[in-house]
Amino acid sequence: MHPLLEIRDLSFGYDKGSSPVFEHLNLDVRKGKCVVVKGPSGCGKSTLLRLICRLNIPRSGTILFKGKSVADIPPPELRSKITYVQQIPQMIDGTIRDNLLLPFTFALGQHKSAPDDASLERMLDAFYLHGISLEQSALKLSVGQKQRLSIMRAILNGPDMLLLDEPTSALDAESATMLFSIIERLNTEEGKALIIVTHSDYQPAVSQAKSCTFRNGKLECS
Amino acid sequence: MLMNQIIEISIPQLLLALLFILVAQITSLVQRLGLNKDITIGTIRTVAQLFLMGYALTFIFGAQNLWLTLGIFVVMVFSAVFIIRGRVKETQISYEVPTFLTMLSSYFLTALFVSWLVIGVHPWWEPRYFIPTAGMVIGNSMSALAISIERLFSQMRQQRDVVEMKLCLGANYREASADIFKGALKAGMIPSINAMMGVGLVFIPGMMSGQILAGTDPLIAIRYQIVVMFMLVGSTAISSIIVMRIIRRRCFGASEELLVSPE
Repeated sequence: MHPLLEIRDLSFGYDKGSSPVFEHLNLDVRKGKCVVVKGPSGCGKSTLLRLICRLNIPRSGTILFKGKSVADIPPPELRSKITYVQQIPQMIDGTIRDNLLLPFTFALGQHKSAPDDASLERMLDAFYLHGISLEQSALKLSVGQKQRLSIMRAILNGPDMLLLDEPTSALDAESATMLFSIIERLNTEEGKALIIVTHSDYQPAVSQAKSCTFRNGKLECS
Repeated sequence: MLMNQIIEISIPQLLLALLFILVAQITSLVQRLGLNKDITIGTIRTVAQLFLMGYALTFIFGAQNLWLTLGIFVVMVFSAVFIIRGRVKETQISYEVPTFLTMLSSYFLTALFVSWLVIGVHPWWEPRYFIPTAGMVIGNSMSALAISIERLFSQMRQQRDVVEMKLCLGANYREASADIFKGALKAGMIPSINAMMGVGLVFIPGMMSGQILAGTDPLIAIRYQIVVMFMLVGSTAISSIIVMRIIRRRCFGASEELLVSPE
């Protein structure tokens, strides 16, 4: 059986002729697995996530999702199956409900049934967003709350895999702990495959989490 | 004063008008605005460009040549794109060629429609009608396009993360940039719509003033002006929508990834 995601011989550089950020990178992620990618700033960790969901285009190499090249999957479909959650959470100017239901307003999401208020409220509780009203403006939330809301929004879209870019970088210790516990539950209870990019020493408390580190333009996995 | 009697402005009378420039120069000097050089250059350019234009139009109107008329039209559109380029200052995404081609085709059709069908000139390219009509369309829509294009690029840069967030949640490039696109289009179109609100109340439009000064019956002049106002709104809308759709597509790559780099 194919891994969920196969990365083969991937190279990336920003401009033609410039030195590559990384070269000949290989990585397999199986269904329901969790990979933590570490490395210093600027080594290409975030770029790797952006290449997987084609927000950037590789110089060479292939990325297969369920055995099919990501280049051959219509971008909206690809990105709702492999959802990248940005380092700095972004909200639209509207209520929390507007933000959570945003994916259902797009052509691709319109045929999916949107969750009702009761299920959204249950999810808010599960994401440690107790006592927050769906009518509240999303822009007024703290960074930590926005981060949890953006992961929740991504989950509502029903992805097979989440790409989390430095999810705790702007959070205090308490918010970071909450987020890690959410991440671990997503993996163990909901079976979501995860690639988490971080420069912290975070090691998820999930079984068989793979840890990879960028060293001199190469990705070394344990 | 009788209708249709034009009072010619003599050269000494023209020089008298320079007093207005003198007032502007003194203001700049007293207030230390540092605009004296610009006012001088502007004055010289106004006189030179308009005299040149006057001679050129006299020649073109006299020549009555289809290809010369169309050639002038192409030069006018080309100059408009050049001016837009100066105002927009975008180096990453190229937009000049589609803008030129869209302006060329949509303004040609507008000028053709107005001079041929609305005014009813024969031949349709009669330079005395076709060139001023085209000039008004190009001048007005050029400003609208410059505003819209500039707004589109600056907002794509400023809201880059929001656009990418929407892409990541399954939006196509049109959905991800819908708000920016709408805002940019509106920003370009609002001045010509506002002009329709104020015309005749707040200001007398240049073309109509010119016709009245040249002795035309105001009731005839207003009909021309009504046609011009409608034409300007319509041509701005058509050219803006086409140009902006093309440029927006160019802001994204083949995988609908945002190509506009951060500020």
